Amino acid sequence: MSTLIRPRRRDTSLAPNYIVLILLLAFAIGPLLVLTFNSLKTQAELGQNPLGPPRSLVWENFPKAWEIGNFATTTRNSSILVVGTILGVLVLGGMAAYSLAKLDLPGSGALTLYLLIGTSLPLQLYLVPLFFTWQKLGLVNNLFGLILIYIATNAPFAIFLLRSYMLQLPRDFEDAARVDGASEWQIFTGIVVPLSWPGFLTVGLVVALSVWNEFLLATVFLTEQELFTVVTSYFNFATRFSRDWTMTSAAAIMMILPVVVIFLALQRRFIEGLTQGGIKG
Amino acid sequence: MRSRLGALMALAVMLVAPLQVAMTPTAAAQDAKEISMWLDTTGGSETADCMIATAIDPFNASGAGVTVKATLQANGWDATRTALAGGAGPDIVGTPGPSFVMQLALAGQLAALDDYAAEYGWNDRFAAGSLELGMADGKLYSIPSEIETLVLYYNRTLFEQNGWEPPTTLDDLMTLAETVDAAGIIPFAHANSEWRPANEWFVGEFLNHSAGGPQKVYDALTGKAKWTDPDFVAAIEMLNQMQQNGWFGGGLDRYYTGTFAEVGSMFGAGEAAMKIEGSWYVSDTPQHFGAEAGNENEWAWVPMPSVSGDAIFDIGIGSTFSINANSANPDAAAKFLDFWFSPENQSKLLVDCALVPAPVNLEGQDLTGVNPGLTEILAAMNKAFAANNYGYTTWTFWPPATETYLIEEIERVWAGEITAEEYLQGHQEKFDQEREEGAVPPIPAR
Amino acid sequence: MQETITLHPPLVQGHSADRRRAFVRRKVVPWLFVLPILLINVAVVAGPALSSVYYSMTKWNGIGAPEWVGLENFRTLAVDPGFRHAFLNNVIWLAMFLTIPIAMALIAASLLAPVRRGALFFRMMLFIPYVLPSVISAALWRGLLSPDRGIPAFLTDMGVPGFDKAFLGDPKTVLPAIGFVDNWHWWGFLMVLFLASMQNIPPDLYESARLDGANRWQEFRDVTLPGIRPTVVFMVLMTTIWSFLTFDYIWILTQGGPARASEVLSVLVFKEAFRNFNAGYAAAIGLTMSFFVGCVIAVFQVLRRRGWEI
Repeated sequence: MSTLIRPRRRDTSLAPNYIVLILLLAFAIGPLLVLTFNSLKTQAELGQNPLGPPRSLVWENFPKAWEIGNFATTTRNSSILVVGTILGVLVLGGMAAYSLAKLDLPGSGALTLYLLIGTSLPLQLYLVPLFFTWQKLGLVNNLFGLILIYIATNAPFAIFLLRSYMLQLPRDFEDAARVDGASEWQIFTGIVVPLSWPGFLTVGLVVALSVWNEFLLATVFLTEQELFTVVTSYFNFATRFSRDWTMTSAAAIMMILPVVVIFLALQRRFIEGLTQGGIKG
Repeated sequence: MRSRLGALMALAVMLVAPLQVAMTPTAAAQDAKEISMWLDTTGGSETADCMIATAIDPFNASGAGVTVKATLQANGWDATRTALAGGAGPDIVGTPGPSFVMQLALAGQLAALDDYAAEYGWNDRFAAGSLELGMADGKLYSIPSEIETLVLYYNRTLFEQNGWEPPTTLDDLMTLAETVDAAGIIPFAHANSEWRPANEWFVGEFLNHSAGGPQKVYDALTGKAKWTDPDFVAAIEMLNQMQQNGWFGGGLDRYYTGTFAEVGSMFGAGEAAMKIEGSWYVSDTPQHFGAEAGNENEWAWVPMPSVSGDAIFDIGIGSTFSINANSANPDAAAKFLDFWFSPENQSKLLVDCALVPAPVNLEGQDLTGVNPGLTEILAAMNKAFAANNYGYTTWTFWPPATETYLIEEIERVWAGEITAEEYLQGHQEKFDQEREEGAVPPIPAR
Repeated sequence: MQETITLHPPLVQGHSADRRRAFVRRKVVPWLFVLPILLINVAVVAGPALSSVYYSMTKWNGIGAPEWVGLENFRTLAVDPGFRHAFLNNVIWLAMFLTIPIAMALIAASLLAPVRRGALFFRMMLFIPYVLPSVISAALWRGLLSPDRGIPAFLTDMGVPGFDKAFLGDPKTVLPAIGFVDNWHWWGFLMVLFLASMQNIPPDLYESARLDGANRWQEFRDVTLPGIRPTVVFMVLMTTIWSFLTFDYIWILTQGGPARASEVLSVLVFKEAFRNFNAGYAAAIGLTMSFFVGCVIAVFQVLRRRGWEI
């Protein structure tokens, strides 16, 4: 095997990759196509033609859904919750992950057990006591109060996922820095965080989505109109036992867009992560 | 790097800090007493906005000294229950029905309304017996808000084309369904995938319209008869027969997976012939019949057939209103409830927002613009109620766990896992248990 | 993962100040890193969760005052056929989700990792199903799986036998059908996690594998898989935990039906707590779920002690 022929071999051998990926792509986005169709139909047409392309395009669904759903307000609130939670989870959870992955935290077994058992408890079970406590602390109907809850509930997954990424990092750099007298905080912020960027990005994305789509806590802890979140918007399309699926679909399409934008905005980061630590073609 | 993280944290604090200021409740410095009310999402935001514009804004402007702040809650019942258990919640408490009121009342979360009922004369205003549905331990805790019943809707155009006559007895219904089925048309436009509890509409109808009629259901609810009575067994077997024949939505698997929009379209288009559903369905009919749906068909209704052929209307309550035991202004809340349940306000809500009214007398009110089908159904129901010829919907008169059992286990009958007798035997056991615990909602004497 | 020699900070003997500093660095500093998030988590989860232990030993309607009944709820649970049935469904669910999505995600991630052109497009599109709220993806698939208007109708028209039925409406097929829908939205997420992890694999490992004449499969087996092992193992653990908690898709699509064929423990908890006002019994079921999860975690801990780097 000579290094000379390597690039060529890689290039030609990517064809099967693309074939499989395109098949998977069809599976993933086929239903999204239907969703797009449905967002452009009338209610009556949706009943007769739930899957096919619309007979005529009802673009009005979008502005109407935006208005009925009160998305101007709810998008703002959800964004605040997402940003606050991401910052909390990435900073505080990243620190904890560093400690677990790199600092041989004494008692890490007990901590792991505690955090994971915590995630295994169905939320409904402790909703009432939690509400009671938060009510006493004045944290009900308060975005910051809900951010605290989200940080707590998202922390275990984030910590362990970040930990699993950090475990992969070679220890050479840190050890060299330690020998040079760097503090753990300096090593964390200066070496480990930059090297685990893909991990932080992924965790940020996961946390953002879980907060964006969270329903139970958001509807129980925020009962003031001005504080409603995006998920409550969907319920404005409710009918007695069903819902207006054309409006709901239009709203869903609008709600996918921010994620696409975030992906595109982070493109540089993703690619950077790719070339920095990752596989080179 | 450190400074960057620091900046991020500072940003987090900045984002949150101004909000906290904004979030501190604005002190109610106004003269008017402010009370809060949560609207649930039944009907979505359009209905809620209409309720606010039609009733609440005029009330606030009327100078009654009370300001109502109404908020549409996406998850109203969960939010209400949790908030009440945590010592908070709105002044006006809405629940999905009497069995829920029972649980809240017994937990001491609701204020007794008897004094207000006397002060405002509610006993004269509401249909006889209807306030009894809100009692627990001999006190009044809630007021029924939406009164509803079930009827048999049919595609009149389709019936006329085929020369079919709407049935009056259950036997007629079975015969007709066979004819319809033989003609390649689905007899009933039913599906439950979006609302699993739709099962109870049918179970409830067949129990009440069995040979024993509502009287036997009353006896069973009050412990004088058994749910395992042969009349009930026959009723459940008949319902099961319909499912086994594939008459509901075109087959059991279709029934379990169809949506209301799908079966509604089939009904309107004449691919399905009939529909056993509640009075609430009237407001959906324009989506399935006529110009909006792209057909020229019409619908009509008859009372749900019974074994005897009597017109029986099963009475149900869609929601209730109460006053929070922790309310700082219960008097103001009662004043608002008095306004809300006035015949004038109820008829306005019916006309403008298609909101099914509470059991108050609407005679003499201007009801122009209301779908005539709905007024007919309501009038017939009121007549049946006055003549004691009414039945019992399961979501209004059943205790909670028994109701869940009734909804879920009927599917095991349909799946052939248990027989009708076994189903009713289990129902009896659940019922006995809850009856002993005092969880059965009040049953007005017949 | 290449071999690295762990170099701990030099431990200087002799000076007590140094020893104290070493102690702080090795025992105290690690906890300082964990403390902030731990405090938040304890405030939110631990206190209220402990109270559910108390509630599990009461008869409680979820609103009023609980009444102490000792272990009665657990005794009821032990003989409740509904509980056993639901638990079994959770195990089936676990088996489905430990295999299919993980395999799909591993394949897609390893195929996507070397791709440069369109990499971001594929990554984004395969991930987007995960973005949709569950109510919406569930409703979409309810339509797509309809035997009269959906994909099965198309297949039936093409003459493919066995598709003229509603898979979500048949007790025999409902659980795999819901699993299929849930997996549609889930596997792309797993793929993104694996992909991020693959980016951390030092490229020279691939270089040397290629120099050794490794084919694609050997490369995957000997370089990729060991390289992302911490993430895979972690996701296996989380899949196990989440399989016991699974609720969304089942609740939206069938609420445990038809005929309770898709009922899992969390559905049981929900119905008991909120439909039947048996919050005490629901707490007992929930704690039992947590107990199973605790057992799984304990197994993982033991494996870790044995030197598995997970």
